[in-house]
Parts: sequence; structure tokens; C-alpha cells
Amino acid sequence: MDPNGAPEMTEHQKIQVQFQLFQESLPKVDETVYRMLLNESIPLAIDVEKRLSQKLDSLPTEDPVLESLDKEVHSKLVLNPLKGNVRSNKLLQHYLTADIDYQAKVKLRLSKIGFSLGEKLSELLIFSNNPNFNFKDMDLLTVMKFLCRDVWRQLFGKQIDNLKTNHRGTFYLLDYNYKPVESFALEENMSKQEQTLLEPYLEIPCGVIQGVLASLGFRKESEVSCNASIVEVPESRTTSQRMNSWAVSFNVQVVPASDS
Amino acid sequence: MSASTSGTSAPAAASRKSLKAFSEDVWKNKTAKINAELFTLTYGSIVSQLCTDYERDFTRVNNQLYSMGYNIGVRLIEDFLARTALPRCDSLAKTSEVISKCAFKVFLNVTPQIGNWSSNKDSFSIFLEENPLSDFVELPMDAARELWYSNIVCGVLKGALEMVQMDCDVWFVSDVLKGDQLTEVRVKLNRILKDEIPAGED
Amino acid sequence: MAIQTILVINKSGGLVYQRDFSASAPRLSSNEYLVLAGTLQGVVAIASQITPKSLQITRKTGSKSGSDANHSSQLVPYVGALGSSAVPAQELGSFMGPDYFNEAFTSWNTTGLKHVTTDQNSLFLYQTLTGVKFVAVSSQSATSTMAVSIAENLLRKAYCLYVDYVMKNPFYEPEMPIKCELFDKRLGELVAQL
Repeated sequence: MDPNGAPEMTEHQKIQVQFQLFQESLPKVDETVYRMLLNESIPLAIDVEKRLSQKLDSLPTEDPVLESLDKEVHSKLVLNPLKGNVRSNKLLQHYLTADIDYQAKVKLRLSKIGFSLGEKLSELLIFSNNPNFNFKDMDLLTVMKFLCRDVWRQLFGKQIDNLKTNHRGTFYLLDYNYKPVESFALEENMSKQEQTLLEPYLEIPCGVIQGVLASLGFRKESEVSCNASIVEVPESRTTSQRMNSWAVSFNVQVVPASDS
Repeated sequence: MSASTSGTSAPAAASRKSLKAFSEDVWKNKTAKINAELFTLTYGSIVSQLCTDYERDFTRVNNQLYSMGYNIGVRLIEDFLARTALPRCDSLAKTSEVISKCAFKVFLNVTPQIGNWSSNKDSFSIFLEENPLSDFVELPMDAARELWYSNIVCGVLKGALEMVQMDCDVWFVSDVLKGDQLTEVRVKLNRILKDEIPAGED
Repeated sequence: MAIQTILVINKSGGLVYQRDFSASAPRLSSNEYLVLAGTLQGVVAIASQITPKSLQITRKTGSKSGSDANHSSQLVPYVGALGSSAVPAQELGSFMGPDYFNEAFTSWNTTGLKHVTTDQNSLFLYQTLTGVKFVAVSSQSATSTMAVSIAENLLRKAYCLYVDYVMKNPFYEPEMPIKCELFDKRLGELVAQL
């Protein structure tokens, strides 16, 4: 990528170090709260969907007698129950049993959160004199590299492990150690249920990718799409460190606008 | 068979540290950090999405943020206790001190002031001079009246305190975002859940 | 000190986790483990009841005079060898490094049960403020304060793992049995270092 010789590299490195120092000097908060905030938005999105759909069909589907009994027991067991508050693991179970339409709505909501985050995030990164980014040669590949390196590092403290492209607007961003689900208890070979549960956890970064692309001019929805899936990792990759046998693949499609 | 309840001998006075120095050390040396601005932006995106979803019904947004906070709080407290291994607070004054000097410091790197104690010492206020959740935020006109932008904080405190057997009410009194002078969070202790206190303490 | 078994007991006295670490670990049926958990819960409560009042009073008066965080309580000395270097410095939770804490920590448990010793076994117990109890069974009769503090350090680290891999797993239902592969794995690594 950098055609310059060694002395230029050191200059480049110097700038990098400076940038790093600058980044470190910015106000900070604890990573745990950030991760929790990010991960808690999934149950949140489910809860919102649940409450909104309840409003529409207010008829209780469950047996009312049973339900009132349930409530009574609940109020005795739970101290000072918060009105309508549901524990997040319950919400996730709810998600699992919901139909595809419902799940899609939850995912869309999360993706929207990601989108607005992405839009602002690219501003944050670009206008902080990021040496990794240059307005002059803003082709799609550079943008994707910016996503893999800077955006991802900002979000998850690591880079995308592998970027594949067909040079025609399709990109695969592979993350072998996707941070948000790092501490989840998942089987080596994930069951279908686990995969379903994992899906919403991939939506925010999808939204972020789209948001970043949009803020850099790849705006039209018909032109940009991003979806995430879980793929198996080739054996050679898993040996280096403690890594999962699966990876998250963010599949980005950008249909170049017909030159106008 | 012998059962023992004795502890180790009393520590050297030198190894004692004030709560403030302790938290400072934890924050400096033992905490993985991320950019505060990213945190602010993330929270902002969540809140604005909620406002859209609930069609700007801000009461519902407040509730939703509160319950999200609650779900975080019940987990976050374990994290806090495991890492800091602080002893139980023997008074609400102590609790308030731990919240401001330790919890807020370790997680958000701010140290809010505590004050405004009620006469029977069962409630106090937390004055957030800096609030990483709402940096650079300006509320739109319609939201300014009803929305408690940082309401998640109340939920977190509620959940966390409940897990250490304190049944509290936590709510926002004022917020600079709404044009108030101060950002004030009120904490009122309703009762200590005696039955829930793990045996071995008095 | 050979750790044979580690148990986790929830705040209402139910057994939520049990794992053997050596072949010589006593074979108890799951029912017997449940009884053990319930019994320990009860013994902890009684231990605090029979603690001489005078002890508690001195502790109380001591605590009023100072404002230091650690003033009123004893410190468990930090045992350096525990939990070091085998796991590479990495991403665990908010607190960096393989060693979650590198100093003596405050043991606030002054009246509850800490350990039970027989000629051939000892059992150590660490209770958190939220009421979760971590129990380790060792194959040695350990009465020295050193052994106790090693055990307290170990169990506190187990608590850290619990926080990272159980509480942060959104699918985990509080108070229910723990089935987390990563928690298993990390706990195994921790015990193996002893």
C-alpha cells in the first residue's frame, strides 16, 4: 500500500505514534461498561419490540387466571418488582421463540442504532487527523481498509482479521475473535438455537459499517448492503491462539453507482 | 474436626489506602479503557433510536432506559465486587462514598459530589458535574421537558444496590441538559433487605 | 495444596456449580452435593450466630473511628504465585492482566465460616457481598493462615472468572446451574497453576 522506502516509513510510523498518543490522551471510560451497554442493547431492542407489539394486540394470549396467579407469585418472589421490567436473559428466550418477522424487526432496530453510531463514528475518526485516512484517494478499498483497521479498533480494540474482496464491490470482513460474544458460553459446534441467538449480536456492527459507508458517500440503500453470518474457520487459522473454530463474516456489497 | 471463623492478623497500617487512592490506582493500572466519546456516541444512538421507536413518548423512553440500566446494574455490581473486594459498607454514608469515589471513578472516570443528605440520613444526592453519557448532547425542544437522558444511571444504581440488599429508589431531580443548574441524582434507601443479607455479617 | 473440588452455591443455598479436579476427589452423588451445599449455607449462618459478641463489638467500634476503606477489616495477604503468567496477558474483563489484583485484599468476612478442616481434608469458603459462595475442597489438612489465604485468593479469582464468563453471558439465568464451557476451562487453568 505504501510505495515509499524505509526512511519514509519511519516518518509514517512517527505520525502513527503521535496519533496513538493523541488517542490515548482523550478522555476514557471503562471498557466493561461500554461492552455491557453494547450487549445490553440487544435485550433492549427485544424489549422495545415486545412492548410495542403488546400495545397493538392488547389481548392477553395466555390464560388470564394463570397469568394473574403468575403475577402474584412473581410479586412475592421478586422484591419491589419494577413495572414491566424483564430480566435480559428472559428477553433473549423470548426472542428465540418469536417468529422470523419479529426477529427481523429487532435486528432492524439494532442495525439502525449501529447506523447512526457509524455515521458519527467516521466523523470522530476522520476529523481527529487520522493519518490512516486520506481524502485524496478515497476509493472503496481504502474505505474498507479504514473500516477494518480504524473503525474496528475503535469499537472492539482489535482489527478485522481478514479482508477478502472480488474487486467488484463485494467484501468479506472476517473477525476470528469477535469481541462482544467473547465471554458467551457457546459450544464448539453451535446449535441452530445458539446461532439464532447470536444473530442479533452481529447487527450493530453491520449497521456501523453501513453508517460509515453512508457518511463517506456510499449512501443509497440500494447500493450498499451488509449482512453478517457465522462461518467456519479454516484449520490453519485456529492454531495460532485461543480461537474459535468459527468466525463472524461481515459481507458487504457495494454496487458502484453508474458513473454519472 | 475443627471449624474456624478466625481471620488473619491485623494488617500493617502502611498497607491501608484511602478509598480515593485505591480507586485511582485501579483506574490507572488495572482498567482496560475505551474512548469516552465512543461511549457517548453509542449511548446517544441507543437513546435516539428509542425516541423514534416510542414515537417520542418520553415517559416510555425513560422507563426503558431505567430497566436497561437495571439489567446492567445487577451484573455490573458483581464485576465491581469481584475486582475491588471492598468490604460491606456499614452505613449509607459509606455507601455513598464508595459509589462516588470508587464506582463512578472506576467505571466512568468521574467523581461526583455527594450531598444534600436528608435529616434522617436515609437519602442523598449525587451531583454529576461531568457526565460521560451526555457530553456534547443537546436535547431537542420537545424532549427537554420530559426526557431524562441519562436515566440509565438510575437503573444501574437501583440494580446494583438491590444486589447488595439495599432497596432504594433512584431518580433524577435535575439535569443540566434541561437547563437546570446541576445534574442531580437522588438516592433514597427504603429498607435494607435483612433476609437477603448473606449470613456471616451483622 | 491439591484442590479436589470447587463448588459454587447461590445466595439461597442452592448448588449451581460443581466440578472435580482430581481423580481422588470424593465421589458424591449429585444429591449429596446438594445436601452439602444446603448444609454449608446453614453452617455459615450459624457460625455467625455463635461468634462471640465481644469480637463483633470491637470490630464495630474499630470501624467507626476511621474513614479508610480497609480500616475495619483484615487483609488477606497477597500470594504472588497464584494465577500468574500461565495465562497470557489478555482481555479478561475490565481489569487488565492475568492477575486481576496484585495486592492484599480486604477480607470483610469476620464472623462467617471460612474453612473447615479434618485430618485429611480441608474445605474453604469465600462468600461475596451478593451472597454467592465459592467453596474449595482440598486434599490436605491445612490449618496454617498461609493455606487459608491461598484459598481465599484462589476463590476470589474464581469469583472474577464467574463475573467474566457467567454474569457477562447474557443467556445465563441468575441463580440457575452454571453451564459455561469457558468458565470450566478458565477455572481448570486456574486450579492447574497451583
